[in-house]
Amino acid sequence: MKEQIEAVIAALNDVLLGKENQIKLAFACLLARGHLLIEDLPGMGKTLLSHALARTLGLSYNRIQFTSDVLPSDIIGTSVFERDSGTFRFIEGPLFAQLVLADEINRATPKSQSALLEAMEEHQVTADGETRPLPDPFFVIATQNPVTQGGTFPLPESQLDRFLMRIELGYPDPDAERALLRGGDKRRGLAAIEPVLDVDALKVLQQAVDDVKASDPLIDYVQRLVAHSRRGQEFAYGLSPRGALALLHAARAWALIHDRRHVVPEDVQAVLPGVVEHRLREAADYAGHGGAALAQKLLAGVDVVG
Amino acid sequence: MASEGEAMPAGGARGGLRTGARGGAARGRGIAYQIPRNTLALLMIAQVAVVLPYLLHLSPWLIAVGLFCGYWRSGVYQGRWDYPRRWVKAVLVAASIGGVALTGVSAFSLEAAASLLILAFALKLIEMKSRRDAYLVIFLGYFAIATLFLFDQSIAVAVYQIGALMLVTAALVGLNQLVTRVRPLESLRVSALLVLQALPLTVVLFLFFPRVAPLWSVPLPSSSVTGLSDRMKPGDVAELTRSDELAFRAVFAGEVPPKRALYWRGLTYSRFVEGTWSAAGLLPEWGTAERPAPAAGASGIDYEVLLEPTSSDWLFGLDLALPATPGVTLERDFRLTAPDPVLSVFRYRVTSYPDLGMDQAPRLPDRLRIRETWLPDDGDNPRVRAYARSLMSAAGGDAEALVAAVVAQIRSEPYFYTLSPPPLQDRNSIDEFWFQTRRGFCTHYAGALVFMLRAAGVPARMVGGYQGGEINPVTGHVMVRQYDAHAWVEYWLAGEGWRRVDPTAAVAPARIEEGLNAALSPEDRESLSALTAARFDGVGVFRDLLYWADSLEHRWNLWVIGYDTHLQADVLQDLLGEITPARVGLALLLAGGASLGAVALVLFWRRRSAPRHPVEGAFQDFCRRLAGAGWPRRPDEAPASYLRRLESGGVIGADQAGALVAEVDRLLYNPGAGWGRQDLRRLRSQLRRVRLRAALGARR
Repeated sequence: MKEQIEAVIAALNDVLLGKENQIKLAFACLLARGHLLIEDLPGMGKTLLSHALARTLGLSYNRIQFTSDVLPSDIIGTSVFERDSGTFRFIEGPLFAQLVLADEINRATPKSQSALLEAMEEHQVTADGETRPLPDPFFVIATQNPVTQGGTFPLPESQLDRFLMRIELGYPDPDAERALLRGGDKRRGLAAIEPVLDVDALKVLQQAVDDVKASDPLIDYVQRLVAHSRRGQEFAYGLSPRGALALLHAARAWALIHDRRHVVPEDVQAVLPGVVEHRLREAADYAGHGGAALAQKLLAGVDVVG
Repeated sequence: MASEGEAMPAGGARGGLRTGARGGAARGRGIAYQIPRNTLALLMIAQVAVVLPYLLHLSPWLIAVGLFCGYWRSGVYQGRWDYPRRWVKAVLVAASIGGVALTGVSAFSLEAAASLLILAFALKLIEMKSRRDAYLVIFLGYFAIATLFLFDQSIAVAVYQIGALMLVTAALVGLNQLVTRVRPLESLRVSALLVLQALPLTVVLFLFFPRVAPLWSVPLPSSSVTGLSDRMKPGDVAELTRSDELAFRAVFAGEVPPKRALYWRGLTYSRFVEGTWSAAGLLPEWGTAERPAPAAGASGIDYEVLLEPTSSDWLFGLDLALPATPGVTLERDFRLTAPDPVLSVFRYRVTSYPDLGMDQAPRLPDRLRIRETWLPDDGDNPRVRAYARSLMSAAGGDAEALVAAVVAQIRSEPYFYTLSPPPLQDRNSIDEFWFQTRRGFCTHYAGALVFMLRAAGVPARMVGGYQGGEINPVTGHVMVRQYDAHAWVEYWLAGEGWRRVDPTAAVAPARIEEGLNAALSPEDRESLSALTAARFDGVGVFRDLLYWADSLEHRWNLWVIGYDTHLQADVLQDLLGEITPARVGLALLLAGGASLGAVALVLFWRRRSAPRHPVEGAFQDFCRRLAGAGWPRRPDEAPASYLRRLESGGVIGADQAGALVAEVDRLLYNPGAGWGRQDLRRLRSQLRRVRLRAALGARR
């Protein structure tokens, strides 16, 4: 198990240079059965990361490019009349894949965005009055441009809450960038990535995440964090119970990646920015920014040891 | 409270304009200044509770005024009536003051003051509009609660007043709730809690706060109390026996003397006019060497008496009682007197010497002799006079023989002891009793004997007091009730002094041996009040209950009512040694602080968070101490990270750090690995070692 995890991370590191932490977070997110939101400027490797993840984990992969005129049927699929048989046949949309990359999700209209909602929460879609299950496992990795950029429809809180984590990639450090420039575009090597895991192995790992234990002092810590977010003056609103569950589960996955069978506070602290930033809003900020600073305030404001 | 709506006539705009024009101060107040509707109900209930016990002490028409005001107010509350106009209020106030004046209480008496207080309290109901008025009513309520103790200080009243206090406080709490969220039950709960929290401080203040003499004297209630009077008509005592009210309680230091020896001497009656015995006026002072003093080494009977209010100044004691309480004096006729009329429970300590004679000198002082042999003109009771003189000459001038002859006469002839003797004429009453009716109560027999002795020239007087008493098995004190009232005779023998003789013992020996109950005829028994009868015939549980209630009241008298300046000084002396203002102040401060601290502790205890994980506790302790050594842990620094930082700082060796990290990780975060006391102890000692090393390092 340890070797598998290390192999996945090594393979991803080969493709996306100098982003080990983000890679681990993204992997942890998938191990925790969560959807991932990557927010960054164009050209930072968002698509590369998601594509590489799909290849490495041996998952079927579709990419949906969201634009302001994408309709729900463009995502879910549509029924087509077949002249031969004289019946309607459902043509599955790009959503029917184990890993879906929803690119630039905040450029789509709310109507199309919400088409993803049922899929993400229920792992099923309803089209033409018929409910169809989605493949198992089913992950959505969505990317979005910073909301400050033009032509975006910000995701509502209810939808943001459905992403387990939101991460930012950021610029690479000089060494990684130099290696990138020297080694040429790795994107060409994407096709060369061999799957490290298969679906069954992934499921075993997901099960192992569930079995990672959390002690009472640790759960106390998580509760203190949540309570602080609800009480603190700087928070517009506190973390929801779903947020608390997400935090603990992500920390479990993080612990597993680091080859532990129980969660330690460092795990919680490592995943906390990714898990809570998009779920918090600064009280003084009506535009909806400042989540990153808030997560740091939250961490600094709560004692690890009760 | 929708006072705007209530106050405004249905007429609408004009009325509204008029009110508006009349000006802002009263009408313009915002809703925040009005009394919440539900709280008004609570306030009225509290008022009723406060006024109710005054029914026993003040005239009942005050209650009618209160009810009238309550009715008016409820009309206002429902929006049917308006508040009274100014002239209506003026008339009401004037009528009330007039009413108090007409009730017949004197102008500066407690009753008058209390009546006015209660009236103001009731009238304020129909005037109260804003919160400020309601606060006034509430503080009046507190004042009225305190005032009632001037009338009655019994334990039942105290308990009732605590309840009333809670109600008034609940109204106060209710006034401070949001208008939209008035919850009377919650108010009651809060106020009960407040009162309970105040109790420890109350006890401390009660114990330690100096009893300062009042700057002005409060007039005390002048209500009539049942008890012995200084004028006694035969038959009066029979009335007393129908009352089961307590006269006093006596606590004996040693064994209680037998019932027949319990002659509680009160007043002496020396004047007999028109069939009525009365206590004489001033007595001659004690001459030198007349004042009785116990022989050296003689042991007396020590006891303490807690006398219920009598409104008079004489006290009760067994012969011959020498007072041990300052202020209590032994008068020339051997009665005890208090410095002032007894208006609340009065405690005094007495030592009795039964063998000590009274007036043992060979001659009575002349004034005394004249006074104790004085009889009205010869026309009154001529037959008994002649009868006494003939007996005396037959006895050869011997007073003892005369008494023996009279007692023998009572024994042998058909004389009867009864609570309901036939009525007698004022004049020649003793003739009538002795020769015709022959039915009487103790005063009849005692009076007849005194008259006969005086007619024969022997100094004699009637003594009023109580005889007997009942021992309360719970606390062991003697309860003496009004139905134990009794009268007997003292006559003077040269050389021996005054000698007690009780003619009742001849006609009804059981009265003396066993008490009134045993001496009563069936008819008499039927005339008794229900409670008295219950006391006599009570069985089992009920009797025990009465005993228990009595002992409770007794302890209350001993420790709460009786806690006066003297007792406080004793208690403080025991607690503090020497009594100085600084010490008392310090004790007050400490004890008050402790009582408030106890309340604070309880509150803190109830708000405490869940108990801390012991390993977390140990680790936090470690962090605190290391912070002192210059290695503070940031709050968001996890234990392992912190220990690693200590390692890189050179505080811990690498292998030691590794072991510690593993240990803390195992104990804190690995629920799979169980841990016990030993683990905790080991961790503590490991941490201690690190700490010491860090401390050494910091010193270097």
